[in-house]
Amino acid sequence: MDPSEVEFLAEKELVKIVPNFSLDKIYLIGGDLGPFNPGLPVDVPLWLALNFKQRQKCRIIPPDWMDVEKLEEIRELEKREEAFTPVPSPYYMELTKLLLNHASDNIPKADEIRTLVKDIWDTRIAKLRLSADSFISQQEAHAKLDNLTLLEINTIREFLLNSLNCMFKLRSNLQAGSSGRTFTDY
Amino acid sequence: MFITDIKKDFYEVVANQRVALLVAGDIDALCACKILQALFHCDHIQYTLVPVTGWQELGTAFLEHKEQFRYFVLINCGANVDLLEMLQPDDDSIFFICDTHRPVDVVNVYNDTQIKLLIKQDDDLAVPSYDEIFRDEDEENEDDSGNESDEGSEPSGKRRRFDEGAVERRIERQRVRREWEARRKEILFDYEQYEYHGTSAAMMVFELAWVLTKDTKDMLWWAIVGLTDQWVHDKITHMKYVTDVATMQRHVSRHSHRNEDEENSLSIDCMRISFEYDLRLTLYQHWSLYESICNSCYTCCHFKLWTLNGQKKLQEYLADMGLPLKQVKQKFNSMDMSIKENLREVIEESSNKYGIKDIRIQTFGAQFGFKNRFLASDMVHAAAALLESTEKDESDTDNFIKALDSLSRSNLNRLLSGIDLAKKKLIAIQQTVASCICTNLILSQGPFLYCYLMEGTPDVKLFSKPMALSLLCKYLLKAFVHSTRNKRCKLLPLVMAAPKDVEKGTIIVVGIPPESETSDKKNFFGRAFEKAAESTGSRTLHDHFDTSVIELKTEDRIKFLDALITLLS
Repeated sequence: MDPSEVEFLAEKELVKIVPNFSLDKIYLIGGDLGPFNPGLPVDVPLWLALNFKQRQKCRIIPPDWMDVEKLEEIRELEKREEAFTPVPSPYYMELTKLLLNHASDNIPKADEIRTLVKDIWDTRIAKLRLSADSFISQQEAHAKLDNLTLLEINTIREFLLNSLNCMFKLRSNLQAGSSGRTFTDY
Repeated sequence: MFITDIKKDFYEVVANQRVALLVAGDIDALCACKILQALFHCDHIQYTLVPVTGWQELGTAFLEHKEQFRYFVLINCGANVDLLEMLQPDDDSIFFICDTHRPVDVVNVYNDTQIKLLIKQDDDLAVPSYDEIFRDEDEENEDDSGNESDEGSEPSGKRRRFDEGAVERRIERQRVRREWEARRKEILFDYEQYEYHGTSAAMMVFELAWVLTKDTKDMLWWAIVGLTDQWVHDKITHMKYVTDVATMQRHVSRHSHRNEDEENSLSIDCMRISFEYDLRLTLYQHWSLYESICNSCYTCCHFKLWTLNGQKKLQEYLADMGLPLKQVKQKFNSMDMSIKENLREVIEESSNKYGIKDIRIQTFGAQFGFKNRFLASDMVHAAAALLESTEKDESDTDNFIKALDSLSRSNLNRLLSGIDLAKKKLIAIQQTVASCICTNLILSQGPFLYCYLMEGTPDVKLFSKPMALSLLCKYLLKAFVHSTRNKRCKLLPLVMAAPKDVEKGTIIVVGIPPESETSDKKNFFGRAFEKAAESTGSRTLHDHFDTSVIELKTEDRIKFLDALITLLS
């Protein structure tokens, strides 16, 4: 899966906006949205929020978890625990990137939030790499990882699957050689 | 006619229509175009952007697009000429003109249906009133025919008396009409004699954005760059510049009140615009201080840096300020912090000692990200250099698009390459000025000064473009005024000629008004060039939107010049 595909899926998340125009309810395939009244907050999918923001038709309200203290707590927790801690949102990385790129003037302390989210991401990816490494070296049959987000899985999926395939081929060749059977090329 | 409610009469009219945007080739027009494009993007208004560099291109662009478009928006072109006569449009084409060229042609002012002027009705417009210029033809004919029928129906006995009365009345009417026509000619001549510039087009379009409450910091920055372009290229008076800066300052304070809030400070990547009372040294923050002083018109002319004495004075000046040469000659960003901190005040003090008043000028600066700090004049110079770059294989449209891109925040590479080109251009200008003054290339022809750049002059290709040549003209006149001892010559205007197209054998001629402290920047060379060309039959092309810039065949240069001298003496 391409990271841009993951970002596309992330854009379905709902965020709160405050529009400055009025529009009746709109009926889309994915659901109903609206009605929009100036000054009244309304929940819309991220893709629509960003489109409105770029056309200067709304103000985006950052999600609850996008707050300096909360993110600092999550970061500390992540550093202490060995397993993966629950994330504030299944698409926290994509949401942060999109919101900070397009609507950073609506988000207070945007620079600190960017740094904190990057720290959390780095810690989790480091844990993921360690766990993948131990999985391969100890030749485990299965592993259980809770609380991983789609983007994190996506970073390691390609590499992990290919390397496991290669190891399988190597191992099966070894066994074939040691038991004297002729091996066929796969 | 003038538009009063810009939102209702312009924006809402084009809201659901397709619009053709015809944009002239100067930085103010580019900035206005960018603001308008951003507004159109917000509201999904379809538009076609056509850069035009002169009247001919305007005509061809109009012919190409008149089938598909009903609404045309002209930026910085079209106000000073009778547009309907020139373009011969259909009755349903509507033109919205946002132009700084003055005087506005009277037909454009009084046409109620097809021409809408996006121009503020300032007190400096001085348009003659309707009755003084236009007169209903019908009254005349009715009277005449009425009298004739009277004559015919009267019996023959009284005919003689009536004949005399009618003839007298007719003579009287004709006399009145001749007087009126003479007065009308005089009024029109006075009105159209001098060419000057009004409020920046970018500022007008920014006001539209403000009325729609869709103004952003980016748009404000473009409006500021448009205003600064008028000041850098000497199109408006100092008074007007200061007044407009004050208007922009109000907008800047309105947009930047959030920066100071400790709790919710803005991200460093957001654009911050600040009012600066900064030095008049061109591009000094992207160059070394020494280079900037040597290549800025203001300091170069005051120190007379083309003379040996001038160089010595500069060294004294730097020593007086306590700035070591090594520091001053390296890139500004790498100078010691201790020197940079009080630089402006130190320079101002020293300059006052050396008789250089007004080394500081009111302007604005923008900052986005940690590294990117630009003054408005930096952007003007960079965009102008890109717009008029003379590289081979680059058409005018390419240059236009590149210059337009350099104004966006996301195209920093383009902007930095523009700054490099601008540095080269400034160095070329200073060297040309120095050589012209030292070799006395400026001749006094009586009513004006004249200078001709020969074909072999270094960098003469740069000066085949009107903006670059006008800038050179301005600097040259300033330098001449500072270096000559002849009191009378100091008050003369300057006409400059440079080769434009070697294959076609043409030269470009530019005329600028005399240099003075309180100059009102009114230029009479437009009309003068026209008349001189007519009287000698020289082959000229009055293609540029500024009437004081023309193209002339090289062979006709001498007789054109003689005609101009006789005309102006």
